[in-house]
Amino acid sequence: MMTNLILAIALCAVAMLYFAVRSRGKHGAGQPVPVDWQAFRTLMDRDDEMFLRSRLPHREFTRLKRLRISLTWKYVGRIAGNAAVVLHAVEGGRQNTDSEAAQVKEQTVNIATQIRVNCMVSLAKLAVEFAFPSMQMTPAMLEPKYEALRENLRRLGSLEPQTVAPLATSI
Amino acid sequence: MKEEVFSTLTMSLKLLIAQLWIVGMVLQALLAMVLLARKTWKTFPIFTAYSIYSCLVSVGMYALRPSGPVYLNLYSVEEIVGILLGFGVIYEIFRTLLNSYPALRNLARLVFQCMVVALVALGCIVLYVQSSTEHNPFLAAMLTVQEATRTIEVGLLLFLFLFASAFGLHWRQYVFGVALGIGLFISVDLILVTMRLHVGYVAQEVFSITRALAFNLSLVMWLGYLLAPESKTQRMDVPKLSQLEQWNQALMELIHQ
Repeated sequence: MMTNLILAIALCAVAMLYFAVRSRGKHGAGQPVPVDWQAFRTLMDRDDEMFLRSRLPHREFTRLKRLRISLTWKYVGRIAGNAAVVLHAVEGGRQNTDSEAAQVKEQTVNIATQIRVNCMVSLAKLAVEFAFPSMQMTPAMLEPKYEALRENLRRLGSLEPQTVAPLATSI
Repeated sequence: MKEEVFSTLTMSLKLLIAQLWIVGMVLQALLAMVLLARKTWKTFPIFTAYSIYSCLVSVGMYALRPSGPVYLNLYSVEEIVGILLGFGVIYEIFRTLLNSYPALRNLARLVFQCMVVALVALGCIVLYVQSSTEHNPFLAAMLTVQEATRTIEVGLLLFLFLFASAFGLHWRQYVFGVALGIGLFISVDLILVTMRLHVGYVAQEVFSITRALAFNLSLVMWLGYLLAPESKTQRMDVPKLSQLEQWNQALMELIHQ
């Protein structure tokens, strides 16, 4: 039993290393994908959910809620993915701490990592709601942070147009 | 006839082990030179110490190889120091990886500490429950300690990779190289030590060859990642508006399904 567990840990580590090398070869962070916040807000709207709950039979409501959660899941995944793209793009060349650009980069990295944390919390909540559709958890507030990230990228784009300028418009 | 074949096979396996040992020493010397020339000790002091220590120990152990009991005692001391330095290297990878992400540092430290506690508990369980087919009690105890500590090391490294993947952290080339090299070696070593505890001395030569191969491969990885130039961040393409419209369309269709 213990031997099997240890061997499983070691084999998981080998597999993890293999996938790490593979994903690194594919330019890790990938491409940014724009987020439609209007649609996201609609999906997260709790009043809509209350309305559906009061009007639909339980079974139909459960089906619709799971569909809604799976769509929201994709959106949150995109937001997290975009934060990773920003982290990857901004992380390089932050050594020069004197310049304004370096400070903005520092802030941008902080916001992007906070978004990643929020997204993970949000995904965990969505997973719970998917398993128990009658539950209603507080939605994660991702939009203000995301807007701050965009704003920082715009500032950074004006300071260093050659590096991250396209990102501000594409996330 | 059978004995003759067995003896020839054992001799050739021992010769292969000696050859791999020599290759390892050459690679270790090269790595030590690269680390010193590139002043890597500034960012990776423990890894530099680990590499130089491994190089010196390899030469010393190679010279002492014929003398049995002295070799065994030195081997155990060398392994313990090596494992302790290994823990240091993993901590160094963790620290360097998170240097660029101050917002994540506190959370990562907390999760890392929890992982250390959990893995140390697992290591203690391994020490308590694991039995060995090894006749030499000293060697059996040594192998069990090695198995327990390697389990903790592999667990910590696994956690590091999972954490970095969950948060989309970017590994710098040399940090990734160090993590990959040590990860490969300690994972293979853990498998070998676990198997050795159960199979016994029978396949000792095969285990030694596999271990030497894994270590030499790690050395090649360290050298490769240290010498290769850092890959530049790829310029992002701006997605076209039509892609966004397509997505909106798909979303609307799904909502109204």
